[in-house]
Order: sequence, then C-alpha cells, then structure tokens
Amino acid sequence: MSEFFAQFAVPHPSTLIYIAMASIVLGSIALVAVVTYFKLWGYLWREWITTVDHKKIGIMYLIVALVMLFRGGVDAVMMRLQLAVPENSFLDAQHYNEVFTTHGVVMILFMAMPFITFFFNYLVPLQIGARDVAFPRLNNLAFWLFFMGMGLFNISFIIGGSPDSGWTSYFPLAGNEFSTSVGTNYYMLSLQIAGLGTLLTGINFITTIFKMRAPGMTLFKMPMFTWSALIANLIIVFAFPVLTVALAMGTMDRLFDTKFFAIGDGGMDMLWANLFWVWGHPEVYILILPAFGIFSEVISTFSRRNLYGYNSMVWSMIVISVFSFAVWTHHFFTMGQGAFTNSIFSITTMAIAIPTGVKIFNWLFTMYKGKIEMTTPMLYAMHFIPLFTLGGVTGVMLAMSAADYQYHNTMFLVAHFHNVIIPGVVYAMLAGLTFYWPKMFGFMLNERIGKATVWVMSTGFVLAFIPMYITGLDGQARRMYTYSESTGFSMLNMLSFVGAGIMSVSFLMLVWNIWYSFKNSPRDIGSDPWDARGLEWATHTPIPHYNFAITPDVTDSTSEAFWDSKKNGTKLFKGEIKDIHMPNNSGQTFILSVFFFIGGFALVFSMFTLAIISLIGILACMGYRSMEDDHGYHIHKHEVEETEKSYDKKGGAK
Amino acid sequence: MAKFFPIGQIMGFVFSLILTVIAMLVYFTDMSFTTGMIILLVTAFIQAGLQFMVFMHAGETEDKWAIYSNIIYGIGLIVLTILGTLLILIWDM
Amino acid sequence: MGKVNNNVPLEYSTEENSLKIFGFWTFLGAEIMLFGTLFASYFTLVDRTGNGPTAAEIFEITPVLAETFILLTSSFTIGLAIHAMRLGSKKATLTFMGITLLLGAAFLGVEIYEFVHYAHVGAGITVSAFTSILLTTLGTHGLHVTFGLFWGIFLMIQIAKRGLTSVTAGKAFVFSLYWHFLDVVWIFIFSFIYLKGMM
Repeated sequence: MSEFFAQFAVPHPSTLIYIAMASIVLGSIALVAVVTYFKLWGYLWREWITTVDHKKIGIMYLIVALVMLFRGGVDAVMMRLQLAVPENSFLDAQHYNEVFTTHGVVMILFMAMPFITFFFNYLVPLQIGARDVAFPRLNNLAFWLFFMGMGLFNISFIIGGSPDSGWTSYFPLAGNEFSTSVGTNYYMLSLQIAGLGTLLTGINFITTIFKMRAPGMTLFKMPMFTWSALIANLIIVFAFPVLTVALAMGTMDRLFDTKFFAIGDGGMDMLWANLFWVWGHPEVYILILPAFGIFSEVISTFSRRNLYGYNSMVWSMIVISVFSFAVWTHHFFTMGQGAFTNSIFSITTMAIAIPTGVKIFNWLFTMYKGKIEMTTPMLYAMHFIPLFTLGGVTGVMLAMSAADYQYHNTMFLVAHFHNVIIPGVVYAMLAGLTFYWPKMFGFMLNERIGKATVWVMSTGFVLAFIPMYITGLDGQARRMYTYSESTGFSMLNMLSFVGAGIMSVSFLMLVWNIWYSFKNSPRDIGSDPWDARGLEWATHTPIPHYNFAITPDVTDSTSEAFWDSKKNGTKLFKGEIKDIHMPNNSGQTFILSVFFFIGGFALVFSMFTLAIISLIGILACMGYRSMEDDHGYHIHKHEVEETEKSYDKKGGAK
Repeated sequence: MAKFFPIGQIMGFVFSLILTVIAMLVYFTDMSFTTGMIILLVTAFIQAGLQFMVFMHAGETEDKWAIYSNIIYGIGLIVLTILGTLLILIWDM
Repeated sequence: MGKVNNNVPLEYSTEENSLKIFGFWTFLGAEIMLFGTLFASYFTLVDRTGNGPTAAEIFEITPVLAETFILLTSSFTIGLAIHAMRLGSKKATLTFMGITLLLGAAFLGVEIYEFVHYAHVGAGITVSAFTSILLTTLGTHGLHVTFGLFWGIFLMIQIAKRGLTSVTAGKAFVFSLYWHFLDVVWIFIFSFIYLKGMM
C-alpha cells in the first residue's frame, strides 16, 4: 500500500516545492470554500463550464493564459535569480532542469497558445459577422481538453515530479534510462491531450471562417486579424498531427518499451528531434501570425488610416504558411546531417524573413502620413517594431548554418527567441487585451498606467535579454545551472536578473491597472471608444448573447466595414429582426474531458486498469453524443427586440 | 435493382481493382527498384485521386476549391516532410 | 436548423450539415499529416532492424492481398450506400452499410491473424525500431477501422430508428468520407510498406 502511494511523491523535493505544495492545497481549499459560500457552483456550471458561447469560452482561455503567464514568469525569475551570481546555490542542477523545462512548456503551450485562442474565439465570429463558431459544442470540448492537458502538466509539480529534459524533451535524455521520474510521462501525455484540443480549435475556426462569413464578405474583404487566424489555424491543423505522432511514439517508448528513439535495437533518437521540429517550427508561426493580425488592427486604427498593402499582407501570410513547414532543420544544424541539407534549410530560413519584412514595411507605410494617436495599444506596437526587427535580424544570423555552430545552444539563441516572442507575441497579446478590453468588459483600462507599463516592460526586456546576446557569443551555454567567476559572465547575468525584476514589475502594473480601472473607470463609454474600424465594433457593449441582432451585410463595404458605415454611411444592417437560432449548452464535453484527464494521469503512472476504464468512459460519452438529437433553441424575435431597446435606452452607439 | 449500382461507381471500382493488380506486378514479376517505385507511386496516387473524386464526391459542392486545396496542401506538406526527413536522417546523414 | 434547401441531396440540405461535411474534410487534412508522419518515420526506420527480422523476412503476400481486396470492396459498398441514400431507399442504404461493416470486420480479422503471425516469428513491437514503427503504423490504421466499425453500428441503429432524415443522412455521408479515407491510407500502406518491402 505504501508502495502505491510512494510513487506519487516528488522524487527530488525542496523547501520551495513543499511551500508551493502547501500554498496550492490551501489555495484550492480556499477557492472551493469561497465558491461554496457564495453558492456559485450552479452559476459556474450553467454559465461557464457548459457554455458554448464563443465569447465566454474566449474569456476562459484568457484566464488560463494569465494564470500561466504568472506561473511561467515565476519560473523565469527563479532562473535569472539562480544565474544572477556565479556559483549560486538557490537552485540545484535538478531543480534548474525542471524549472527551465516547465518555463518553456508553460509559456509556449499554456500561455501563448490559449492567449491567441482567446483572440480567435472572441474576435473571429464578431469580425465576420457570425453568431457563433461553426461547431459551438466542439469549441467547448476543445477548451476543456486543453484545460485538462494544462492541469495534468501542472500537477506534475506536486505529484510525481516535474519533467526535466527541456521543453524539447530530446531523446535519449527523455528516455527511461536518463529521465527516471514520471515527469516526462506527464510531458508526453499532457501535451497530447492539450494538442487534441488545439487541433479541434483549428478545424472549428477554419470551417467558421470559410463558411460563416457575413453576406458580401469575400475572402479578400476579411479583416486582417481574421486572415491571420485563418492561416494560423490552417497551420495548426497540418502541424499538430505531427506532434501527436511524435508524442505517441515517445509515450510508447517510455511506457511499453518500444524502440523508436532507443539507443540500441535500431532506434533513432534523432527522429524525435526531427519530428518535434517539423511541428515546432510551424508552431512558432501559429503564435506570431495572430500577433501580426492584432498589430495590423491596432496600427491602422491608431494611424487613422486603412492598412497599407492589404493584399501583400495576405499573400505574405500565405507564403509563410507554406515556408513555415520548410525550415525546421535550422533547429538542429549541428546534429550531423551534411552541408547540402544545411544549406537548403539555411536558404529557406533566410527566405522566410522576406514575407515577414514585407509586413514590417506595410506597418511602417500605414503609419507614414497617418495621424498617429499614441494610445497604450499603439505604444505596444511602436515598441514591437524595432525590438522585433532586432530579433528577426539575429534570427537571420542564426540561419547561417556554418555560423550556427558557434551560436548553437548558447544564450545567444535564448536571447534571439525571446527577442521575437516577447515583443512579437506577448506585446501583441497585451496590446490586443488593452484594445479589446472595453468591448469585453465595458470599461477602459487606465491609459496613464498602461503607457507606463509599456515603458517599464521594454526597459526590463532590453536589460534582461540584450546582455544574453553578449554572454552567448562569449560562450555561455543555455540550460547550465551555474557558471564560475572566471568566465566573466557575472556582471551581465546580474543585469539580466535586474531586467527580469523590472519586467515582473511591469506585469504587476498590468494587474494593478486592471484593479484600478475596475474601480475608477467610467462605464458610459458607448460601443466604440477607440473610434475603431472593424465589424467587431459594430455591435453593442456589452455584446449581446447573439452578437448581432441582424446579420450584417458588407456587400458595399471594404474590409473595414464599420469605418465605412461611420464615414460613408454604408448601411450594415439591412432587413429586420428575426428569430435567432442558438446552440444549447452541454455538460457532456466537460465530463468527456475529465475522462481524458483521468486516463492521462493513469498512464503517467502506468495504471493501465484505470486507463482502460477512462477509455471506456470516453467511448461511452461519444456513443451517447452520437445518439443524442439536439437542435438548439430559438431566441424569439420579441426578446431580441426587447434587448435591443434596452441598449438604445442606455444610449449605446449604433 | 440496377438503379442501386450506378455505372460511374462500378467503373471506379473496376478501375481501382485494375490499379491494384498493376501494383501487384511489382511483387510477382522481376523488375528494378526504380521501375517498381515508379509503378507504385503512379498507381497509389491515381488510386487516391479516384477515391477522392469518384467515391468521396469531393467536387460536388460550391466548396470544392476549398476542399481540393485543403487536400492538395496537405499532400504537398506531407511530401515535403517525408522528403525532408529522409534527406536529413538517411540520404545526407 | 436554419434554412432547408430541397435542391441538393439530403446530406447537404441544412446549413449545419454543410458545415459538418466541410469540417470533416478539414479533419481529413489533419489525418493526411498524421499518417504521413507515420510514413516518414517508417521510411526512416525500415532498415533499422537491430537484432530483429527484416521486412522481407516477415511479410506474407496472401493476407495482405486479402486485406487489400476486402477493404477496396468495402469502400465500393459504402459508396453504394450513399448512392442508395440519395435515391431515398432506407433498406438498400442499411444493406450496403451492413455489408461494408462486415467487410470491415473481416479486414480486422485478417489483420489480427497477421499480427499474431508477426508475434510468432519474433517480430513483436518491442523487438526493434522497425517492428515498433511497422506495428504502430498498421495498428493506427487498424484502430481507425475498429473505431469506424462502432461508429457504423451506431449510425445504422439511428437510420433504422429514425429513417433517412437530414441529420442521419449528414452523419452517414461523413462516415462514408471517413471510410473511403481509410481505404486511401491502406492503398499507401499496401504499396509502400508491403509491396516495396517484398519487392
């Protein structure tokens, strides 16, 4: 019996982990107590857990993203603290391995991915004038699968031990021989479950965008964010199955002793690296394209001009979607393949900088002769362009395969990818969050605090990451838990630590801003506080459950339909209010996802009976769903008219 | 009864059987590896196209260009992935 | 359910169905990548047999040909089922679907025989990288067929109970796409795993 429980213990504990464990347990108890005390379980179940409303599902993704931003951020600060001085003993080697592994996985897959998915969910149906996504219930399932994957990954920390072989989990390091704890099982299975959710999101949004656009909205009249969402989801659908296969093979190697990536018996550990990056590189573009989409919306709104070079923007994304699948070798130039192969992938990698450069110039030309209004979202965009370009240029340096032998696995690389991901993705997400905040919650975030946040964040960013370029070129390897005084890296690493601290302050300012604005911001802001351009601003604030009382018709408009209606008086809403068909909520998806969670947990600890029981549960849920006959319901015309009238009384813009 | 057996689908089925038999020649006769691979590639891809167009009705709605580009995009990417993988791990290792 | 269009086959008649069919095509794009990745891995690992047997040593032509013709025929019969559905004959639809599922079960029977044979000749899944990827690729396809069998049975029950409505017709059409696609995958397994391995 004690043996059974012993397997759940953390193999390499420390005081910090015990403190975290205690606070997680106490926090959960407190949360349950609060929800029970205020009798919120029913509300949570009816309004959130079972919801099929794309707006609410979007908000749930946002909450997960922000919580994970906090967790990944704490990991980051711990790493910088450990490296701040030479021979530091704040973390030991094993803990440092666990921290950089979870930092990478959490930030990419459980922070950035839900953040962009939040924008897909919230914005795409509004931008194309739809009532919801194509498959609302599948959308709910996708969220819960993603959530269960996220949960499974995060409990590894307190039950059984965190994964410790890097976010890339290269074999043979990730094999049973060198990763003896269950940590890597957690990695394989939680990513599998979350990845399934992401794939469903991809299918859902491709279908939504292709099939549910408002009348008159041809593909080349879609708002730019919707275009970026379409391309990103296309890449999701074609890239994630590769990860699925790689993870399945890795799981089988660890649980069933297959020989895919084994050292003997013909196994090939390099195949893992290859498959991982076949998925991994497109994944980078899955993250950055929606970020570009957000910046396009922000920059054209606050330059008070339509986006320069719409067609070239679209075509550059289409080119990127193909090229993103043709560059993956640049992640392992030093693995041992010949110069011929490396040269090919060097060239494709450099070539992909061209469409990206096109986009940078388009934004610059949009601002050129524009009437720039320096709001917080615009300030993020203004900081993004130079910082991101710096990251892009160092990327081209890394693309040169011969030179890469010097840069490979050094802090130079770490500086490069943070330099593209933070100003690229994180700034875009925060710019978008600030920009769409009033649409979602009915009040604006404070501009003064907001702009200060951007400046503090950029200062912290530059201090934290520019020194890494230098130490990297001098040979400081990544993923090393300490270094000696004689390397001369101490000064620059201390600077990075200070930068990381300043960045943390900026995130605290963001939280403070939300609280401060919640308390103090006026609520009578109308539905279009930024004087914006896209169709998503043409509905009320807060957005009614059905989005648009009348489906908008954009036959006579451009890609900026709302702007046209404001400036040229184009009529968006033709015809009269009719009954509106809406989908029903469902709790089945949540139950199905719980079975996935239990099954995943069972496999982590090789408890196969429990795993089979969960599999039966999963199949039973699917069978039940197959037999069900659910046609949704109608909101009656009168109810819609009543709701619309209540907005008119409040004096919302329309 | 005959109305349940449309001529198009019967032709498609017969054609797919013929393609399979041609592919089997690779096993039952003696030929070079290159010739064999060419035969397999040609028959397999025609066979796949046949399934998509005759049996799966890929081109019967207004979405046909989206469906076709989806499939072609997928095939293009996977061919790229397979060739790239082999180049990295076998041919140029 | 929105608008009902009477000028197209039942499976396309509602907006919801047309979304589902389009969505399923998108999913098939993902399936192409899934099986393609397995093929990429197979081609990489096919000669890495360690101490285990090689492809040529364990493949047998008879069960492979049986599987191929069974699956080809089942793909033909599910096509006939959809044709019958468009003619509005519930009985013919169910008959052809039943034949399809029986053929699917027969295919699985042969595949199980084949797997037992591999185990007997010392080609279990843990023997070498080659056997791991071979059995995983075949197994993934086999699991898809197994899943399809259950799906098909659930579908037949619904058609029998509710008749050919826009809902059941839509589901049946999506199922037919799935089944044809498994045949396409098998063609590639047949050509590039078996025939190439025995050539």
